[in-house]
Amino acid sequence: MSSTSHNSNSRIAPNLTSGSAEETLQLIARLPAPEGLEDRVNAGLKSAPRRGRVLQWPASLRPTASWMRGAAAAAVVFVVAGGGWGIYMRVQPSQPARVIVMPHAGAGGGFSSAGAMRTPQTLNGPLVAEPVTEQIDAAQPAKAQPVQIKPLKKVPAKVVPLTRASGKSHVNNKTAAQPAVSVAK
Amino acid sequence: MSTSQAIYAGWMEIPNSTVNDLARTHAEEVAVAALVTQYGGALYRVAYSVLRNPSDAEDAVQEAFLRVLRHRDTLDEVRDQRVWLIRIVWNIVLDRKRRSKTRPETDDVAELARVLPSSGLSAEQIASAAQHHAHVLACVEKLPAKEREVLQLSAFEELSSVEISQVLGITESSVRSRLFRARNLIADLLNHARTLK
Repeated sequence: MSSTSHNSNSRIAPNLTSGSAEETLQLIARLPAPEGLEDRVNAGLKSAPRRGRVLQWPASLRPTASWMRGAAAAAVVFVVAGGGWGIYMRVQPSQPARVIVMPHAGAGGGFSSAGAMRTPQTLNGPLVAEPVTEQIDAAQPAKAQPVQIKPLKKVPAKVVPLTRASGKSHVNNKTAAQPAVSVAK
Repeated sequence: MSTSQAIYAGWMEIPNSTVNDLARTHAEEVAVAALVTQYGGALYRVAYSVLRNPSDAEDAVQEAFLRVLRHRDTLDEVRDQRVWLIRIVWNIVLDRKRRSKTRPETDDVAELARVLPSSGLSAEQIASAAQHHAHVLACVEKLPAKEREVLQLSAFEELSSVEISQVLGITESSVRSRLFRARNLIADLLNHARTLK
């Protein structure tokens, strides 16, 4: 019993105390609107920006038929394409780049080594000490050693025609060198 | 060539669709003006109960009707125009209040004494009543947003719980439970303030 009375009291009590809050809110809610509010709002609505109107074709030129629309579309395409073509024709193409033709190094084409030789990078090996005697010999001037010349075979002389341009004979180098040796003798 | 001559010449003909559009626009503007006359005051009071500033409340009403004017094509589809308009202005004032974190003007006791009705009361009574109202409003501001909104809307006698639920976009049972919670909370706040005194 006491619990129910307590519950009922707790439910009523907030309403009693919150009643003053609701009274205040109701007082504010009942406040009249200021005079001339409607007129001001209506004036504001009239001065508000309106929707833009779409321009209409004149009656005589109104494209009612489908062929007119097609013609208009074709005209638009023609103008756009013509403009593009005009721009394309006016703009000069840039000069072609100057190409330096490099001579082919090899007959087969491609890159050449240009005579360069590859030297493999190897580790330095142990240094070999040269004998002292050789060094002394190297310091001294070299002695003239007699040259041993083998006796040459006697070859019968041949008459060889000379070429017009170089004046050199078509004889082998060996045979051409032989008379010089014999002269030295 | 004058405008009328051009129209008669045929190259500046006003089409029937344009005439219809003009007539329709005029009819819609008349309908909106009627809404302003009918519900302007109610919308102002709703706006004022939240913003508690006359000029801000009027601006909110103006903005609400501008929105209506923008969506006047859908005016015929609205079932309950009053609830629809209150919902629009409610959203506007909540948005404005969220943006400006300023203190409402009527929390000032002198301003409350000036605004609230005080017929047949002495100056002392008016002052004490204004002080009391200011204190109550300060307690209302301390409530959670959901409970405060329901309490503020319930103060309007013309709004039923169903209509409050439509304005807030919640169920009617939620409105009742929130209102009960709001009353409990405000009572606690007021009691707490009284014991502190």
